[in-house]
Amino acid sequence: MTSKFTISRRDFLSTTAAATVMAGVSMPKIAFGADDVVKIGFLAPLTGEVAAWGKPGLDGCQIWADWVNADGGVKIGDKAYKVEFVPYDDEYDPSKARTGAVKLIKEVGVKFVMMLGGDPWPGAAPIAEKEQMLFSTLLPSDLSPETTLLVAPCEVHPIYNVTGVEWLAEKKPELKTAVICAQDDSLGKPSVATYLAAFEAAGIEVLGKPIFFDPATTDFAPIMSKMLALKPDIVCLDTCYADYVHPLVEQAFQQGFKGQMISCTADFYQKMVEKTSKEFMEGFVFQFPDFDDPALNAEHVNFRKPNDFYAEFVKRFGAGEWSAVSWEYASIMDLWADAAGRAGTTEPVKVLEAMQVGGTGKQAFGEADWWGKELFGIDNALVGLWPVVKITDGKARIQEFKSIPAWWDKHKDLLIKHMTALDQMYFQRG
Amino acid sequence: MHKPENKSPNIVGFIGFVLLVVVLAVLPHMLSFSQQEILVLLVINVLLVCSYRLLTLTGEWSLAHAVIMGVGAYASALASKELSVPVPLAMLIGASVAGFLAFLLSFPLFRMKGFYFLIASFAAGEVIRLSWKWSDLTFLFGGPKGIKRIPPFPDFLTIDFYEPVNYYYLCVVVVAVSLLILYRVEKSRIGLTFHAIHWQDKLAESVGVNTFRYRMLAFVISAFFAGLAGALYAHYVGAIAPKRFDVEEMVYILIWAIVGGTATFYGPIIGVVALTILNEVVLRSLGVDEMRPMFYGAVLIIAILFMPNGLEGLVPKIKNLFTGPPKDGNRSLTPSQATE
Repeated sequence: MTSKFTISRRDFLSTTAAATVMAGVSMPKIAFGADDVVKIGFLAPLTGEVAAWGKPGLDGCQIWADWVNADGGVKIGDKAYKVEFVPYDDEYDPSKARTGAVKLIKEVGVKFVMMLGGDPWPGAAPIAEKEQMLFSTLLPSDLSPETTLLVAPCEVHPIYNVTGVEWLAEKKPELKTAVICAQDDSLGKPSVATYLAAFEAAGIEVLGKPIFFDPATTDFAPIMSKMLALKPDIVCLDTCYADYVHPLVEQAFQQGFKGQMISCTADFYQKMVEKTSKEFMEGFVFQFPDFDDPALNAEHVNFRKPNDFYAEFVKRFGAGEWSAVSWEYASIMDLWADAAGRAGTTEPVKVLEAMQVGGTGKQAFGEADWWGKELFGIDNALVGLWPVVKITDGKARIQEFKSIPAWWDKHKDLLIKHMTALDQMYFQRG
Repeated sequence: MHKPENKSPNIVGFIGFVLLVVVLAVLPHMLSFSQQEILVLLVINVLLVCSYRLLTLTGEWSLAHAVIMGVGAYASALASKELSVPVPLAMLIGASVAGFLAFLLSFPLFRMKGFYFLIASFAAGEVIRLSWKWSDLTFLFGGPKGIKRIPPFPDFLTIDFYEPVNYYYLCVVVVAVSLLILYRVEKSRIGLTFHAIHWQDKLAESVGVNTFRYRMLAFVISAFFAGLAGALYAHYVGAIAPKRFDVEEMVYILIWAIVGGTATFYGPIIGVVALTILNEVVLRSLGVDEMRPMFYGAVLIIAILFMPNGLEGLVPKIKNLFTGPPKDGNRSLTPSQATE
């Protein structure tokens, strides 16, 4: 897929220089009129226990907007539009999401709404349908045949978790057993099904049943004790929230675990290193890189200037604030801006058509396919390469980009089997 | 405990009632789209917190009320979605199931009082809530993701109840009738017995009052209306999940009741209205989303420090500003003192 709209920093500088020269004799080339603003809704948890997957994403979006606006804005049709994000805290609650969707669409006049997804999505879904508004989610488990205006264009949670297990099995074939724990909720369960499939595909035996703990849990010592009693080679922390990953890792450290740990996320991992030790965290595998990683400068990576983005994020908010979602919403905006530019309009249905033309798209880590019919009932998830990240000497570093579709082609029956067993297929959900 | 009710025609009261009706009728048209959404949820929460107050009349504070609201929501959603029961009937079924569950819970719970009842109600509520997430029952309750695509309230003639203004009017009618029933219960002999059990349960028993049955009655009536609030919520939002009815939601109910005050019928209503406006309108309009919990907490602390009788304590003071101090010298009587 080729994009008509690309503005590099070099383009911006040359345009700006030319404009400066011409300033004395003509009007500036780049100027936003009063109406030349396109508003984008950011409907995600900014407070509460899930805020770690909302707020850092909004911070990343502000950087994205500042850069794009400084480069002349998003070119749609004959005009360049300044981008403005309008946030609404949905508190991870469907009724608040409904109110937020109404406010953003009917009062603010946004042209696209980004959500974390999960529990709040069903509250916003009828509004999306009625107002014909394009929404994005980070959680493709929200997708179903009815959600025609919902896309998961960045993260295909939890399917990418298979890449971490596959990499681990290739690099450390001596690891033969694993235990899994997760919070008992809409993020934990599909992720457990994915890890079960990935471990089975890799020939790693899962000891005992996965432990599902209540999200209200505060004492993680018994959970870790129960898992370590099985003497596993691998402790898998599934897609636990940061508030659970940290105490679980601390417990593993305090209870003397010496084996391999794997997790979907390791948000704010520097704090875990501080609480345990560099030696203990060495080799910890997860799925979300720091964007100062040199591997992100690879040619197939579509996210623009990832190292600069990370540096700017750290400068504005601090290294400790970088999380799994800091770059994700911004990468969705790359896709949206590209599609709106090609569609020549911000009209949501037309932007979606432009986004999905040809059945492929430029996902952050490379060219990807619009996929998901068998798992979600609709091809609205963009899936391709995903990085496997390992902590080395206290720093997260990408080890390899692995292909999710390649794993799926070989092992899809396993994933469907485990998803079905945990009632996570689209036709089993509510 | 109660002042004798003035049976003579009260013209001021009538004018006040008419004004209230006019305000409630006009209000949604003066608000923005999103504020209309908040208004619908606010009216539902008024019923929720008023139903909670009925139970507190007997002196017992439950931590299961949010879960009982959820029972009504789940039962109504399942009845309409799985059994194709018409939504209005499903709502009544939801409320009845919540009431019936409270009846069953009464037997173990009312073997305890005070702090022990509080803890036991929390445990019972969590058992119910966790059963919705139990993997063996996912086919029924939808597990952690709950139930989605719950049938909305059906259109009536040309009235589309998907529209918040129309649903608001529906809720206002349902809640007004419910509050009238709750009010009449409180003012009846049964309500007086609730008060008696609260303040002198041993004395009440000594004169032949079956305190267990009256506590059970308060719990069942309270649960019925909490279940009705849950049903109204479920068919409006269209999705419910166990997390929606967790202890955090219960804490909000307690905060509304405590900050508003529970000595008068209107106390919790003032609490829920004031705090909802503060949290959802004022603090959001300041554009400090991530700071809202801090501001909200600070306001609560200030309210409790400076208004220990709740916001309802302001009402007599405001009334005195207009009518002057009472001639009987009873000027400093707070609502709670008046009730006691």
